[in-house]
Amino acid sequence: MNLNLDAKKAMTYDAIVVGSGISGGWAAKELTQKGLKVLMLERGPDLKHVTDYTTAMKDPWEFPHRGKVELWAAEEYWANARSGGKPGEDQRHMFTKDVDVPYIEKRPYDWIRAYHLGGRSLVWGRQSYRLNERDFTANLEDGHGADWPIRYKDLAPWYSYVEKFAGISGNRDGLAVLPDGEFVPPMQMNSIERLAKAGIEKNFKGRHLVIGRPAIISEAQKIHTDLGRASCQFRNLCVRGCPFGAYFSTQSATLPAAVKTGNLTVITDKIAYEVIFDDQKNKAVGVRVIDQNTKQHQEYFAKIIFLNASTMNTAWIMMQSTSKRFPNGLGNDSDQLGRNLMDHHLGAGASGEFEGLQDMYYYGRRGNGIYIPRFANWGDDKRKDFVRGFGYQGRGGRQDWVAGASKDGFGPAFKDNLTKPGRWEFNIGGFGETLPDPNNRMRLSGQKDKWGLPIIEFDAGWGENTVGMRKAMMNDAAEMLEAAGLKNVKTRNDNTKNPGIGIHEMGAARMGRDPKTSVLNAWNQVWGASNVFVTDGAAMPSSSCVNPSLTYMALTARAASHAVSELKRMNL
Amino acid sequence: MNRREAILQVALTMGSALSAPTMASILEGYQPHRVGGHKPSPFVLGADEQALLAEIAEVIMPATDTPGAKEAGVAATIQLIMKDCYKPAQQAHFQKGLLAVDTESKKTYSKPFVDLSIEQKTAILTQFEQDAKAEAKQHPKRQEKPQATNTETSLSAFAPAGSEQTQAKEVDAETGVVVKDARKNAPLTPFFTLVKELTILGYFSSEAGCTKALAYVPIPGRYEGVVKLKDGQKAWAT
Repeated sequence: MNLNLDAKKAMTYDAIVVGSGISGGWAAKELTQKGLKVLMLERGPDLKHVTDYTTAMKDPWEFPHRGKVELWAAEEYWANARSGGKPGEDQRHMFTKDVDVPYIEKRPYDWIRAYHLGGRSLVWGRQSYRLNERDFTANLEDGHGADWPIRYKDLAPWYSYVEKFAGISGNRDGLAVLPDGEFVPPMQMNSIERLAKAGIEKNFKGRHLVIGRPAIISEAQKIHTDLGRASCQFRNLCVRGCPFGAYFSTQSATLPAAVKTGNLTVITDKIAYEVIFDDQKNKAVGVRVIDQNTKQHQEYFAKIIFLNASTMNTAWIMMQSTSKRFPNGLGNDSDQLGRNLMDHHLGAGASGEFEGLQDMYYYGRRGNGIYIPRFANWGDDKRKDFVRGFGYQGRGGRQDWVAGASKDGFGPAFKDNLTKPGRWEFNIGGFGETLPDPNNRMRLSGQKDKWGLPIIEFDAGWGENTVGMRKAMMNDAAEMLEAAGLKNVKTRNDNTKNPGIGIHEMGAARMGRDPKTSVLNAWNQVWGASNVFVTDGAAMPSSSCVNPSLTYMALTARAASHAVSELKRMNL
Repeated sequence: MNRREAILQVALTMGSALSAPTMASILEGYQPHRVGGHKPSPFVLGADEQALLAEIAEVIMPATDTPGAKEAGVAATIQLIMKDCYKPAQQAHFQKGLLAVDTESKKTYSKPFVDLSIEQKTAILTQFEQDAKAEAKQHPKRQEKPQATNTETSLSAFAPAGSEQTQAKEVDAETGVVVKDARKNAPLTPFFTLVKELTILGYFSSEAGCTKALAYVPIPGRYEGVVKLKDGQKAWAT
């Protein structure tokens, strides 16, 4: 026997999935359930469902700093620190220490990472919306970016498929702008949200306020309980990891489903940095990794490879994957690899107060808010200052003790006042679409990280189109709140945030119809390396204004189905 | 129903998903993993300063029909937060403010703050609250309320006003390294503003604050959007 051949055989699988976040988890689940032997590679450490959610059951007083971030943590998690309390003791173990994995900002960029098994599926915002029909034709209509190679009808059945499994809570609202899906029961709105809904819908034709659609099982179905998932307990502590498995994550959902097949191998702590492209066979044959602890290099082999390392790292791997055929990076004949970075711009909106409804309250903590779907540049609502549109996320509630610091006074009456429910408040903030622009890009810098791998350099901005859109996001918000009867309406338009802050990185390896202008085809296959699939945010040709993760799930399930049927036809 | 009972009850509905050992491990508290190596701050308050801080906190959040700041251990929490979450300049400013309270007490009433009557203590702190406002007016930028957050990006349970985490880090565009001295000359939060904020935070996030002054339900189990407020009902702790 040839020992080398044996060794190689031990490292050979039917498929390799690089990354274990939302899309990687889906790739592993779909491919293993279709009978393929799958290797899932994760660059970070293992993070076990339930037992590694070490802060999940802690009470507020068990955190010595009570939500305040220690200085050392703010420095070591310097990028995370730009996005709120992520370096805090309640949740920093769910994020990545930025000093260990630096990046370079030619222009400022907020890159929030979670390098461990499950990736950002453990800490995502969970809002799950379908793109609508016009999202898929937007690039064609206004000429920004490359046309999507698929349309809504191509993805609709896959949306249904992933929604049923993931468990999306929502109401069937019947709006073309926000297509309905396969929902578990919607969560309730509270009194101020109902008031805002009535006021906005009465005063503005074409504007709607609906309950948010999170990937949280409000009522667990058999498909969920079979995997050990339970209904939401309404603690609103999702970011610490859910010991009930109520929100969708790799750990709660796709991983147990994949493990059940007996076809999955998971290897953590391996940083995949290159797809091995065989110039003789004219296809990819495997991936190269380095162990993050031992720094040992290793090769794994497979018939098909799914890159689900998250937008930036997927492009980063492809850029390092050079060969005779692809001297500028895998699938990069078009020079579009690493370009067209998109995100959602936010931080513009309004808040208001309401004096009435003093006898109303609510029970429980809802890890979900309300949603106002896009209305600008939709139907009759034409805007001159910008193309495309924005939606709002928001919520209402009664003021609590947190407001005390900005109130005058102290002492017994002051304290007593803070123990009672305060005034109602209602707040909405826009999430705006950004345009694909080839000048918004990431590159491999000349600098190396501690594994000798190239450090990413960001060179991206929000773009001119966001300027007018942000004004509308702010003014339209105030107009709606005032029309709904809210008082003391305050507007905001915080321009200090950098691209990436939406944590919706998209683009970098877009799908398209033409290999000259895109990196992937209509089935998420890399042009010229059709046994490599990219189904994370990198694949997005446009950003829509809705939260993108549900679309990654649908694209992944669709691509995995195609990959397996092509394998059977011996086309890969 | 305590937390253990509550989670066990939920676990029963989940079948085997949460095994007994699993339950035990998450109930027995946590071992923070991946803790970084870092130099602790030398900030420390003397015994007199601690007593003074405890007294100030008690005046802000006094014992009424519910426990006060002293019983809730607020002074120790403030000291820890000051030590770990604030920079040396802010720490010094805080300590200076603390001493100024005593100096003012002695000047006005010829007694240290801790020995004053509640009326006298209130008068002194009322003066400090006015002074803090005047101090803040000189630096209006510092006093801006942090951005209202939204469901998508606000993953934190709470991020109190003016906390360090609401400030953007300034970063060197070439290296990605945080520019540590960028805010060296930033105006400092006035003493009273900070001690009041931290007292409120420390109190209402304490066990006494959550469970006695407020209504704390660790595992609500459901969400009802429209509930009639009962007479005398307390606000939810979280």
